[in-house]
Amino acid sequence: MIGLSHNALWVLVSMLMLGTAAGLVGCFAYWKRHSLMSDALAHAALPGVVAGYALLGFKSLPVMLLGAAASALVGALAVSWIRSSSRVKEDAAMGIILSVFFGLGIMLLAIVNRLPGGGQSGLDSFIFGQAAAMVRQDMRLMTAAAAIVLLVVLVSFKEWKLHLFDPAFARGLGLSGRLMDAAYLTLLVVVIVIGIQAVGVILMAALLIIPAVSARYWTNAFGTMLALSALFGGGAGVAGAYVSTLESGWPTGPFIVIAAAGIFLVSFLFGLRKGLLLKAMQRREQMRRLRTRAIRSDKLTEGEALP
Amino acid sequence: MSRSKKKRTIVLTAALLALLPLLAACGSGGGAAATGSDGGEAGGASAAGTGKDGAIHVVTTIAQIAEPLSVIGGDRVRVESLMGPGVDPHLYQASQGDIRKLGSADAVFYNGLHLEANMTRAFDSIGKSRPALAVGETIAQDRLLTDETGAVDPHIWFDIDLWKDALAAAVEELKKLSPDDAAYFEANRRDYFAKLDELKEEAVAKMSSIPEERRVLVTAHDAFGYFGRMLGLEVVGLQGLSTEDEIGLGDIERTIDLLVERRVPAVFVESSINPKSIEAVIEGAKERGLNVRLGGELFSDAMGGAGTEEGTYIGMFRHNVDTIHEALAGEE
Amino acid sequence: MEPVANMKKPEPALQVHGLHAAYRRNKVLEDVTFEAMPGTLTAIVGPNGAGKSTLLKTMLDLHPRLGGEVRFFGTAYRNAKLKVGYVPQRGSVDWDFPTDALDVVLMGLYGRIGWFRRPGRRHREQALEALAKMGMADFAKRQISELSGGQQQRVFLARALVQDADLYLLDEPLAGVDAATERAIMETLKTLRAAGKTVMVVHHDLQTVEDWFDHVLLLNRTVIAHGPTAEVFTPDNLARAYGGWLRRKEPVPR
Repeated sequence: MIGLSHNALWVLVSMLMLGTAAGLVGCFAYWKRHSLMSDALAHAALPGVVAGYALLGFKSLPVMLLGAAASALVGALAVSWIRSSSRVKEDAAMGIILSVFFGLGIMLLAIVNRLPGGGQSGLDSFIFGQAAAMVRQDMRLMTAAAAIVLLVVLVSFKEWKLHLFDPAFARGLGLSGRLMDAAYLTLLVVVIVIGIQAVGVILMAALLIIPAVSARYWTNAFGTMLALSALFGGGAGVAGAYVSTLESGWPTGPFIVIAAAGIFLVSFLFGLRKGLLLKAMQRREQMRRLRTRAIRSDKLTEGEALP
Repeated sequence: MSRSKKKRTIVLTAALLALLPLLAACGSGGGAAATGSDGGEAGGASAAGTGKDGAIHVVTTIAQIAEPLSVIGGDRVRVESLMGPGVDPHLYQASQGDIRKLGSADAVFYNGLHLEANMTRAFDSIGKSRPALAVGETIAQDRLLTDETGAVDPHIWFDIDLWKDALAAAVEELKKLSPDDAAYFEANRRDYFAKLDELKEEAVAKMSSIPEERRVLVTAHDAFGYFGRMLGLEVVGLQGLSTEDEIGLGDIERTIDLLVERRVPAVFVESSINPKSIEAVIEGAKERGLNVRLGGELFSDAMGGAGTEEGTYIGMFRHNVDTIHEALAGEE
Repeated sequence: MEPVANMKKPEPALQVHGLHAAYRRNKVLEDVTFEAMPGTLTAIVGPNGAGKSTLLKTMLDLHPRLGGEVRFFGTAYRNAKLKVGYVPQRGSVDWDFPTDALDVVLMGLYGRIGWFRRPGRRHREQALEALAKMGMADFAKRQISELSGGQQQRVFLARALVQDADLYLLDEPLAGVDAATERAIMETLKTLRAAGKTVMVVHHDLQTVEDWFDHVLLLNRTVIAHGPTAEVFTPDNLARAYGGWLRRKEPVPR
């Protein structure tokens, strides 16, 4: 990486860390069948960001991030409430929360943008992200987040495995499902809140979902899947960020998502465990064996097609 | 919770949520009963001078048009602008309240040249029932600036001569609406334009006093092209003509390169734009050994608060000139 | 001759008194009361929706209890967790999860390994032993998604065995398994009974109750009857438990 400016370094490292953290947490979300939830929570964070600015009257990043976290958590609570007290199924509940909260956020944004100083608050950049403007402070924040997530995952690896596979049995062993769920939700919200500054509310879900799904195609071991997911997330972050620097005016967030999608495509086609190519080759091998056996038992002559 | 009670709670919450948009619309629009679709005539007659005290009701988009017209029109006009201080006209979306306001005006003035990019439909439909003039589009093409892609730079209010012509076109329209007041408008216009000429002289003098090599103006977006042309400054915007695109790393690096190369002492943020990217430029330059100061906040697409000095066109312009002068001409 | 005073009455392994539970708005368990003694192998039977699974879950605090008391070896569940082994329904987990059979059995030892610690070689050997007991030693490294229904059930039972509990609660372990697996599972349960453990099994197949189980608990929202199979598994009781559900077949005289 020759001649990398400081800004480029900050952006690339920030995106590497964010991608890694998102890949790890996204893997948990995948096995909780909660991938849509990460999208819902990311969208639900928007009204909190705006409220954090509106209530204070001036721009304060910690307050806005706190607001984002609070409204994401309210969204999560709303999803469980809807699910537990009505007939609405989980994915519909998440869809409702996603659109209602996001709409609320856009509406608040419209109001705030009419106030003096509203345009300066940078609230708009939370929708699509502003990865190019990452500075040293942001890099530190994202590295810290990635470190925390990694620590939690490594320290309680087998507990996560147990909880994700068989939560009822886990409860029986004394592993509180509520504690694990709270920890997972906390990690998810932290990653989302930190990430939306860089890639925005709309694209954050891509970073949480795509690396985990891609990793699935390569391995049958949970630990390996976690590691690959982190790798893919970080890789997409760096690759996307780097490509966006090549031309002026190219937005960073979308390129990261495209990089992630590229990784998914490769995994989908060539993945060692469930990739399309592998399946095609396996099928061809099976057909070949079938033909050989049929020929040998005189049921088929060479050159004849299988019925 | 019993089932019926739960249902009631859900219905109440849903009703409350549904009410919120109405509250927002009232807040930004003015509380009249909503009848509006685009361009509906919700209360104002189209004949001139039939508002309160017979004053002409003028609605503009940006305050750079509204404030001067309120001075020139005096008590014969009542002027409102849709976009207040701190509002970005490139991204502005008209609300139902705005549409109603436009519908109640006797005349509508806007900048045009794609500044109010999201409002073209509103202007077209309003223009069918009352005068809607794009003051920027009355200027001859060859006097306008374009960027590399051929897009026209809409920020013409920063060239005082161009702006005089644009305002004059609006004043002509006012004269047509109220011929009895033509002489009154003309006299006011002359006085106001005299002040504008003074402003221009003052600005030119101040900018010339900045050493040649320091005459570089770095801001968040390319709003100051005409400013630079009139006053002999080289202008560099982090973003292009419009704030619609996301800022890329390449833009930031290119700007830092320029700063370091020319040893520019200060960069400027704008009142309607998120300063984060300028801050990234400053930090990046610092890493390269150049201590770039934040020279101050400039008014680019919007003006200051109503009732303040910077809330007037002349005051706003002067603020910009002074801020730039102090930052660039001052000791490093 | 043994002094009579020294013979202690055996303590019940499980005591349930007046248990109530609901699912959504329907009462699923109503005033359920029974006791299970050590060294018994009990079948819990009843029509669909009778609350059999819910009974297990409610006893283990996996489902909210609306009333009543449950005692495991004389104390509350949270104090007796190490003594209770639970084998949930096979359909309650996603068998696509990326892990192998040995790993699943190891999960039974997590309580003993301790939080935040890695499983050691000794633990792995114990898990392998349990798999071997269920005839699954060769499948230790096989992905669980590649196992048949019967094999998955055996893995689940191995996981319970490795916990070395005193009371085992199994939820429909014989559902959808092949005959060989059924035999293997029941033989294992009989071995446990012989060792003095208490085993209760939610069972779906009335035809085989008399073959395998020495006690029966007939459940239809409340306890219809409970006791030794020979006494309790009568046509009258079955009729009461199943109401109109049962299409009675005359049992083949042995």
